[in-house]
Amino acid sequence: MQRLEARRGVEEQHFLARRARSHSYNPPVDLRLVDYVSSYDPNLMCPICRCPFVDPVVLAECGHCFCRECIRQSWNTQTTTYTPHGPHGDCPSCRTPARLRPRSTTNNILINMTDELIVRCPKSDEGCKAEVKRGEVQDHVNIYCGFTLVECGADHCELPVRRKDVAQGCLHYGVSCLSCRKELDKCNLDCHWRNDCPARQTECAVCKSMVFPRDLAEHSSTACAAISVPCPGAALGCSNRSTGAQARTHADTCMLAKLAPILTTQHERLEEQEAAQKQMSRKLEVLEDGFTTIQSILSPFSSDNMVDKLGTDPAPGPRPTDLPGPYSADFDLDAPASFSAPNTSAGPYASPLHHLLHMHESLRDEISRISSALSELDGRHSMQNLNENLRTREEISYIGAQLGGLQRQVHWLTSAQLHRQQAGRSPTPGSATSAGTAITDATSGAGVEAALGAVNTAATALRGAARMVNVGGREASGMRRGASEEGRTKL
Amino acid sequence: MAANKRIMKELGDVNTNPPPGCKITTKDEDIYNWDVSMDGPDDSIYKGGKFTIAIVLPKEYPFKPPTLSFRTKIYHPNVTNDDRGAMCLGMLRAEEWKPPNKIADVLKLVRAVLSAPQPDDAVEAGIADQFKNDRKGFDKTAQDWVKKYAK
Ligand SMILES: [Zn+2]
Ligand SMILES: [Zn+2]
Ligand SMILES: [Zn+2]
Ligand SMILES: [Zn+2]
Ligand SMILES: [Zn+2]
Ligand SMILES: [Zn+2]
Ligand SMILES: [Zn+2]
Repeated sequence: MQRLEARRGVEEQHFLARRARSHSYNPPVDLRLVDYVSSYDPNLMCPICRCPFVDPVVLAECGHCFCRECIRQSWNTQTTTYTPHGPHGDCPSCRTPARLRPRSTTNNILINMTDELIVRCPKSDEGCKAEVKRGEVQDHVNIYCGFTLVECGADHCELPVRRKDVAQGCLHYGVSCLSCRKELDKCNLDCHWRNDCPARQTECAVCKSMVFPRDLAEHSSTACAAISVPCPGAALGCSNRSTGAQARTHADTCMLAKLAPILTTQHERLEEQEAAQKQMSRKLEVLEDGFTTIQSILSPFSSDNMVDKLGTDPAPGPRPTDLPGPYSADFDLDAPASFSAPNTSAGPYASPLHHLLHMHESLRDEISRISSALSELDGRHSMQNLNENLRTREEISYIGAQLGGLQRQVHWLTSAQLHRQQAGRSPTPGSATSAGTAITDATSGAGVEAALGAVNTAATALRGAARMVNVGGREASGMRRGASEEGRTKL
Repeated sequence: MAANKRIMKELGDVNTNPPPGCKITTKDEDIYNWDVSMDGPDDSIYKGGKFTIAIVLPKEYPFKPPTLSFRTKIYHPNVTNDDRGAMCLGMLRAEEWKPPNKIADVLKLVRAVLSAPQPDDAVEAGIADQFKNDRKGFDKTAQDWVKKYAK
C-alpha cells in the first residue's frame, strides 16, 4: 500500500516535471506577435498595442476598450497607489478615472470576431505552413504543430525535439553541416539549412547576391536590386526600366506612373459600362421579340373589334379614326404576315415601343374622356331626381293639408252630433222616440266612424306612397352610381 | 516585445502612408531611433526649409512619450536654442501623453506648431517675447535661419 502510494507520488512528480519542461520549451503563444493573414477591421484594433484585441476589457466608466494586458501595463507605468479593489488609473484614451474589475470584460461578439481572425502558426519561421484561427492557434501549437518542441522519445534523453521528428529516435547527436562544417545537433540541421547555413544560401539568379532559401521569394519580388522593373506607366508610353530603389524614385517623379492607376480605373469602368450596355441591348431584343408575339396574338381581333365596342358607348368616346392604327415602317419587315395593317390617320412610328406607347397614351385619353362623361351623366341624373322628389314632396304636403282640413271637418261634425245627442237625451222623451233617436244615433255614429276610418286609411296610403317615392328615388340614384363605378373600373 | 511589434507596425504605416511633408528612416534596424526629414509647412515662415528631427522612443513606448529634437537649428519659441533642439509641448509631455497616440500624430503636431508657434508655452522666453512684440523681426530672423541652416 505504501509502496503504491510512493509510486503514484513519483509518477505525479514526473508528470508535473514533464509538463513544466514542455511549457518552457514552448512558451504560450503571444497573440500580439503572430502574423495576421486576414485583414481586419481597424475597429478591432487595440489603440495601445495596435493589434486585434487580446482578452479585451471595456472600462465601465467611459466605454473605451483595451486589451487587459495593455491597460494593466499602462497603469503600472503610471503612479498608481495600491487599493484593495484591483488596479485603477486614468483611461489611456480619455483620462477618465477608471477601475479594472476582476469581472470586467466585453461582449462575446468582439471576442468571437477577434478569435476568428486567421493567423500564421508562430513556428512558421521554422517551416510550419499552417494558418489557423487565432482562437485555435494555442491548440495548434500544443497538439498538432509538427514544429512544437517535445521531449525526445529516447530513454534517458530529456532534450527537446520537434514533434515531427520524434519517431526518428534520439536525434541528439553531433553532426557537422556538410556544407559549412558547423557542428550542431542532428535535430537542428533542417532549421540550420533553412535559415542560417551560409553555404546553403542560394544565389539570386539575377543579382548574384546570396539569399537564404526562406527569403528568396521576398527577395525576388521586392528587394532584389538587379531585377529591373518597368515604370508603372509603361502602358502609357514611359519606357523607363530601373532597379530597386531607383525604380521607386522614378515612380515618384514620373507623371505617367502617377496617371497609370487613374487610367486603369477609368479603363475598368469603361469595360464595365460596355458590358452593361451589351446586356441592355440583349434585354431590348428580348422585349422586342415579346412584343412581336403579343402583336401577332392580338392582330386577328385588333382595332375593328375594339372600335365596335367603344362605338356603341353613348358616352362621347373617341371616333374610330382617333384610334392609332398599327405602326408600319421598320416593323413590317420583321412580321409583315402576322397582321394586316389598316392604316389610319396615325403616322408611322420609329419603333414598336413608340407605337405601343402611343396606343397606351390614346387609351388613357379615352378612359379619362369616358370617366368625365360618366360623371356628367351621373350629375344630370341626380339633378333630375332631386327635381322629381321636390315636386312629389310638394304634392304630398298639399294632400296632407287637405287631409288635415278633412279631419277637422269630421271632428267638428262628430262633436256637433254628440252635442245634439246629449241635448236630446236630457228632457227624457217617450221610449219609442228615444229608441228611434238611439237608432239614428247609432247609424250616424257608425257613419262618422266609417268616414274617419276611410280618412285614416287614405292618410296611411298617402304616407306609403310618399315613402315609396323616396325609396324609389334613392334606389335609382344608388343604382346609377353603382353602374357608373362599375363602368369606370372596367375601363 | 509587444511594444516592439507596435513600433514595427507604426513604422510600416508611416512608410506606406507618410504624414504630409515627412520622410522617415531608421538607422541600422534600430527601430527605437527614428530620423525624420520634414519640409517646412507651406503656410509658415519655415517654408522651403528642410528640417531633420530625431525621435527617440523609450523602451516603455507606447506607455511613455517619445522625445523629439531638432537636429537642424531653428528659430522658434518652442524649440530650445541649443544643440539639443528639444521640443516638448502638448501631447509630448509625460503627463499628457496617451498610449493610443502615434508618432504620425506627433509629427502632425510638430507641423502645426511650426505653422502656429505657441509663445505662451515657450521654452525660449526671448524668442517668445520677440514673437509677441516684434513679429516682423522674428519672421526675418527665422527666415534668415532657414536660409542659413535648413537648406
Ligand atoms: Zn492591446
Ligand atoms: Zn476612456
Ligand atoms: Zn504550426
Ligand atoms: Zn534525444
Ligand atoms: Zn551549414
Ligand atoms: Zn536578386
Ligand atoms: Zn516612368
